[in-house]
Amino acid sequence: MWVTNAKIVGIVLGTLALYTLIANKIPQVQSEVPQALTLGANVTPEQLVAAGEKVFNGIGGCTTCHGLGTRAPNLLTDEKGTGSIGVRCGKREAGKDCKQYLYESLDNPTAYVVSGYQPIMPVMTKQLSPEQVWAVIAYLESQGGTVDVTGDDITKAKQLTPGASPGTPGGGSAGGGSFAGGSTDPKAIIQAAGCLACHKLDGQGQVIAPDLTHVGSRRDAESIRKKILDPASSVTKGYEKLAGIMPKTFGTLMSAAQLEALVQYLAAHK
Amino acid sequence: MTDNALLLLQAAADTTHAYGEFPVIGARAFIWITAEVHLMFAAFVLGVPMFAVVTEAIGIFGGDERYDRLSKEFTRLLLVAYSATAIWGAMLVFGLSTLYPRFWAYLTTIFAPSMWIYAGLFFVESFTLYLYYYGWDRWKKGRAKLGHWTLGILLNVWGTIVMFIANAWLTYMMSPPRDITPTTDPTTIKLWHAIANATWMPINVHRVIANVVFGGAIVGAYASYRFLAARTDEERAHYDWMGYVGNFIAMSALIVLPFAGYWLGREIYQYDQSMGITMMGGFMSWLWVIQAFLIAVLFLTGNYYLWIGMGRIPGAERFRPYTKYLLIVLVLGAIVWGTPHTMIADSKELAAMGGSHHPFLGALGVMSAKNTAVNLMILTTFLSFLLYRRANTRPVVPWARAGTIIQGTMFAVAAGVVLFYGIRGYFVEAIVRIGFSVYQVLAVLSCIVFVTVIDILMARGAQSLGAIRWGRMPPRSQYALFILAVTFTWLMGLMGFARSGIRQYWHVWQVMQDTSKYAATPALGYASKMISLCVLIFLSLVAFVFWLGGLAEKSTFVATGEGEKGARHVGH
Repeated sequence: MWVTNAKIVGIVLGTLALYTLIANKIPQVQSEVPQALTLGANVTPEQLVAAGEKVFNGIGGCTTCHGLGTRAPNLLTDEKGTGSIGVRCGKREAGKDCKQYLYESLDNPTAYVVSGYQPIMPVMTKQLSPEQVWAVIAYLESQGGTVDVTGDDITKAKQLTPGASPGTPGGGSAGGGSFAGGSTDPKAIIQAAGCLACHKLDGQGQVIAPDLTHVGSRRDAESIRKKILDPASSVTKGYEKLAGIMPKTFGTLMSAAQLEALVQYLAAHK
Repeated sequence: MTDNALLLLQAAADTTHAYGEFPVIGARAFIWITAEVHLMFAAFVLGVPMFAVVTEAIGIFGGDERYDRLSKEFTRLLLVAYSATAIWGAMLVFGLSTLYPRFWAYLTTIFAPSMWIYAGLFFVESFTLYLYYYGWDRWKKGRAKLGHWTLGILLNVWGTIVMFIANAWLTYMMSPPRDITPTTDPTTIKLWHAIANATWMPINVHRVIANVVFGGAIVGAYASYRFLAARTDEERAHYDWMGYVGNFIAMSALIVLPFAGYWLGREIYQYDQSMGITMMGGFMSWLWVIQAFLIAVLFLTGNYYLWIGMGRIPGAERFRPYTKYLLIVLVLGAIVWGTPHTMIADSKELAAMGGSHHPFLGALGVMSAKNTAVNLMILTTFLSFLLYRRANTRPVVPWARAGTIIQGTMFAVAAGVVLFYGIRGYFVEAIVRIGFSVYQVLAVLSCIVFVTVIDILMARGAQSLGAIRWGRMPPRSQYALFILAVTFTWLMGLMGFARSGIRQYWHVWQVMQDTSKYAATPALGYASKMISLCVLIFLSLVAFVFWLGGLAEKSTFVATGEGEKGARHVGH
């Protein structure tokens, strides 16, 4: 019986060892706690790239769309024969170097929507601090190009957005009217808020959440206002399962004038 | 504001008392081990009564006393296991209250009444078990036996409610209702509002089924040990049969488990997409490749056990040539299911692949291919069961040939539907593709249900080709049962890590942040070592429990004198 017992123990330990070994042989990725990013004026390109890679793969949420090959252009690999982003960024717009192009793409994503893709990207300068934005730019430049981001770029960006502090979104001061650059143009607000990442409007955007093209025919202005301020207040029939996904922060991000401009614009979509 | 709320807010602000430390292994490892081992024992003491009561019912209504004895033997294993469950549960509670006091205060503020009910029900459940086991021989006949069986049902009812209550606490941590924010005073949160959160019911259903699987696997391992230690042919026959029943129940429930898991995953995505993406495409993406490997081991080992088992069934020879084709489908399915798709890769790795996905394997790593593979594996396993069931019988009903053709057609149609939607999924948008998996699942489930019904009707008065020669199994078949038990247990630990780990650095998702030094969620390598350690502790204790059971009482096996002649299939 001792031989049988030894065999059983051997099988149990061998099976456990096999599973443990396989799990240790695969790439090891730990989920870190997001840290506030502090980069001084003397930051080196290598430090920027390293920090940018973390933001790109982590808190920036870039990999949610970029890299899947369907929702947004590939950035780290070749995009339809034009090379990775570091190679092609300087050639995308005449008169704009790579750094300028990438910054504008993060600050105003609708400016240069790549053909074949929807304008669903949110304004990243509202989501990330200046340090994080410039670190991501440095990381993207490093993908086949030359890194020319410096500490001066961060310093200047901070001066432009004095409310920003490390680890906090650059211009997202609560209700201060700097949302969408303070614009009351509904299209700029919709872009800054990233509405089209889920909603469709006038043929653009995604179909994850209700189509807003005729939202004015099913909701009046008051209902739309309430829905923006408190998304859980009502749920469109058929979308009950998606309740809770829409951010609750628009009431604090937008100024009253912006909110009203957006409400009236949507209510007019009969 | 009430005094309680004020105290709680003060406690929340006082981060110096938010966390304690445990010597040598640290607070997180202590909680990990106690929670996991408690959960394994809990799954065992919830899963085993489920089929103890089913086997007792088969004994009562089928008139076969062997099932009654089997049921009693299962129940005997529960007695000491209950104590172990309670001990590990107490260690977990003490650990939480001393190592994570702020978090524990938060949970108890919301869930206190449910915790009192939980404790009360555990008391009631324990005494129901004592009555159930110790009253076995006294309430053996007539109405008293039915009363005894009712005790078994009550045991399951109490256990299931206890599990549902505990599930509410952990699912609240994963998916608190969206109107609850970091500033919400916990004393204002309604108990039922917190309990009925988005993932509560999917977890309940998933765990009920998983407990049946787990209980079956552990009983199978117990039977295999007793088989290997048996001194007589009759004893060996009894434990061979018991191992078969354990494996049959485990594998039957396993077939349904992926559907419950799919529902849970869907609810997680719908509750919070970023959580879903973290789970399937973020830092946990490799975990699903490991999961696929483990489930492939389960399917292959379970089928292997059945195929070896056909060696003891007269008439099974005619089906043996088909097993190699079944093996091919299972292996191909496992390879496809284990193919990685979206995962974190650095720029060098991406460049080496020539894109975000591997040019060839990427096409097999998508859900269309994986859903197709797993559904075909389920169909194949069901076919193995069907061949096993039929092995020693020849149907005599006049429509036997037509019935077999209809069954074959159902298999072909189900496989066709699975393949059609699998291929079609490549050409439609994701939102449409997700819906296709429902059709695939329905096709497979319908096939299983209707083919089984036809088979039961066809087996009426079937000609026997000879009784199963229970006990005539090579030792390697019993070692396969051990591999199944270890793999099921490890898989449970892995899925526990996935469910808990997707909260990342939150105690309560986006409501209460983990600010301890253990806030980062470890990589799979570290997690696998913890899982293996927990499995080892659990199995060692289970072996001790079984040994104690053997000391206290002899096996309920009683030589009937019938030997192997009287043995029949489960379900016949």
